Amino acid sequence: MQVTVRLVGVFRIDRFREERRCYPETATVRDIVCELGIPLSLLGIVLINGSHAAIDDQFRDGDTITLLPFIDGG
Amino acid sequence: MKILTTHPAADPAAILYTRGTVDLKSGSIRLEDVPCRNLEDVLGGFGRSFQLLAERRITHAYCEENPLIVNTGLLTGSTAMTGLRTYFSGYSPIKGSKKGLPAAMWATGSGNFGPRFKWTGLDELIFEGRSPEPVYALVRETAEGPAVELKPARHLVGLTSHEKMMALRREYGEGAHVAAIGQAGENWENVYMGAVALSTDNQFKSGEDKMRFAGRGGMGSLMGYKNLLALVAQSSDKMKPTSPEVKAVNLNVVKGGGSARLQPISRGGGGGTWAAYDVLQAFHAVPVNNFRPQGDDLPEKLCREQVEGQVVIRSEACYRCGITCHNNIFEKLEDGSAGRFLAKFDYEPLNLLGTNIGIHDPVQAASLIHLCDNYCMDSISLGVTISYLLSYNERHPGSRLLNGALFGDYENIRELVVMAGTGKLPEIGRGSWRLSESTGETSYAYHVKGLEIPAYQPETNPGYAWAIAGGHMSMGTYGLLTREGKSDMDSWVEGITRTKLQIVGFDMIGLCKFFDITKGICTQMVVDCLKSEFNLEVTTDELAAAVRRSFLRGLALELRQGYEKAEYTLPAEVWERRNPNIRLPEITNQQFLAELQERVWAVFEPELAGLLPEAGA
Repeated sequence: MQVTVRLVGVFRIDRFREERRCYPETATVRDIVCELGIPLSLLGIVLINGSHAAIDDQFRDGDTITLLPFIDGG
Repeated sequence: MKILTTHPAADPAAILYTRGTVDLKSGSIRLEDVPCRNLEDVLGGFGRSFQLLAERRITHAYCEENPLIVNTGLLTGSTAMTGLRTYFSGYSPIKGSKKGLPAAMWATGSGNFGPRFKWTGLDELIFEGRSPEPVYALVRETAEGPAVELKPARHLVGLTSHEKMMALRREYGEGAHVAAIGQAGENWENVYMGAVALSTDNQFKSGEDKMRFAGRGGMGSLMGYKNLLALVAQSSDKMKPTSPEVKAVNLNVVKGGGSARLQPISRGGGGGTWAAYDVLQAFHAVPVNNFRPQGDDLPEKLCREQVEGQVVIRSEACYRCGITCHNNIFEKLEDGSAGRFLAKFDYEPLNLLGTNIGIHDPVQAASLIHLCDNYCMDSISLGVTISYLLSYNERHPGSRLLNGALFGDYENIRELVVMAGTGKLPEIGRGSWRLSESTGETSYAYHVKGLEIPAYQPETNPGYAWAIAGGHMSMGTYGLLTREGKSDMDSWVEGITRTKLQIVGFDMIGLCKFFDITKGICTQMVVDCLKSEFNLEVTTDELAAAVRRSFLRGLALELRQGYEKAEYTLPAEVWERRNPNIRLPEITNQQFLAELQERVWAVFEPELAGLLPEAGA
């Protein structure tokens, strides 16, 4: 299935800002994160179609998955 | 500290801390060892100082009975990473209830002053009364123990915080570190937001004004009222070798998940400062033009990739800290190399003296931050008060206030900062609450309980209402909606009343919040440090209970200083003029807030009884 992956902040460095990508039907957000080599320690927020989601959530064809870094205050 | 027990929670009186009391009026100084009353006293910081403040009935911040308490935390000056904190506590000139009574406050900062102060042998210094002449306090380590003297400070009057520090360092040499106010604190009558600057090794080595700040609540103004311009702590370096146990903790702090996001990008980290811009902008929740995000890409002009093209960014760290969270900004010379140091970009000053006042040029923002730092004001209070004025002027084109500045009007805004910092503009220097009361337009003054909020939209954080000493660093709910996606009532009640209030533990023990910002101090890491450093046996539950008692004591003290429950709310514009541009669930309508207030107080109220002593004076 095809989804749109959006990256925010430091995740864009040497990657991309937004891209259409293909994944198998059973894929989870974790598969995207691992494929893109995003360190889990930096991953703060996952959005599926603008709503907060968990890293092990699955997604559907046509969804938009946004990966954001941690926000820490100060 | 004298530690005569291994169980501080069960036997706190067997731990004594060394307190100095300075009567600024007479010049008399008394040193004593004081037995701890509870674990809060042992941990230190505001956990101890608020118990002292609660013993006094203070009706005006600028009165001789209002003490300035300078203390450290148990792990200040220890081998635990980030153990650099100094705390300044007193009744605040800027934060107060609508009944007109000042609130108890603390402010804290890192830098090298805290460890040096601790290594003199002192744990706490209380300044009573008011000196008839400008003075500074010299705290020294001697063979007989700590010694405290008052010295004439006429030669320091009118200098910036950095200039005062450099002058005192030249006088006292390498073993000396300094806490100082700037012109803002000296002009305490017209500036209620004066901060205290804390010197750093980097500052003294480079000559660049890279201080750290205890900014919130006007503790620098209180210091100025007392005619106390600076403190010098002079001691040898007493950092002992790091034990294997603390080494393991420190490694976890640096390499573990806790601080990875703060590390420089070059080390695979998140780069610190700009993570908040990046994340909040994805929700159109970066404060713009007095907390009114417009749903556009304007904030991106101060995102890292834009800033990098115009200035040189260097990642630097506090003394012996491996987190490297500072993003110091330098002029970019023609060959691309670094020129003059401009400012340190932290998220709050960058936003509140940048995007939120319509300044999108990093060099201009740096210039305003630099001025604010040198006059030594709280950048949050200054930025938010200016953004209120700019908003007022935008709404009243025919009757603008002061110099008529508008959003983005750099020259006029700069003039406001200079005039406020030198005490010539009380309308700004006394904060947004008083300014908005004078105009009669209070709904868009972005303060809570009289203290300006930090750079997180109130629409994302109803927890601001229960923060006891500044909007985000004394109530860790600022990420509950944005980061954790929690918009249900139960999560917010749980966050405010249990988990997120624990953030104030860092304001007791001497560690910076970046030691472990998500988990707080009630962790095995802290337990291991206390065991290794002092042979103390403390459980995480005991730590959590002490932190909770301290927070609740702060809340009880607010109520005693006249706060009504109706004051535990957000700026009214949030619901009166809902911002449709913020792409997050709405959790700050009046109905949600009313239920939240009811449920939060239902948890807190039964626990408040008996926390405060009878106030004396």
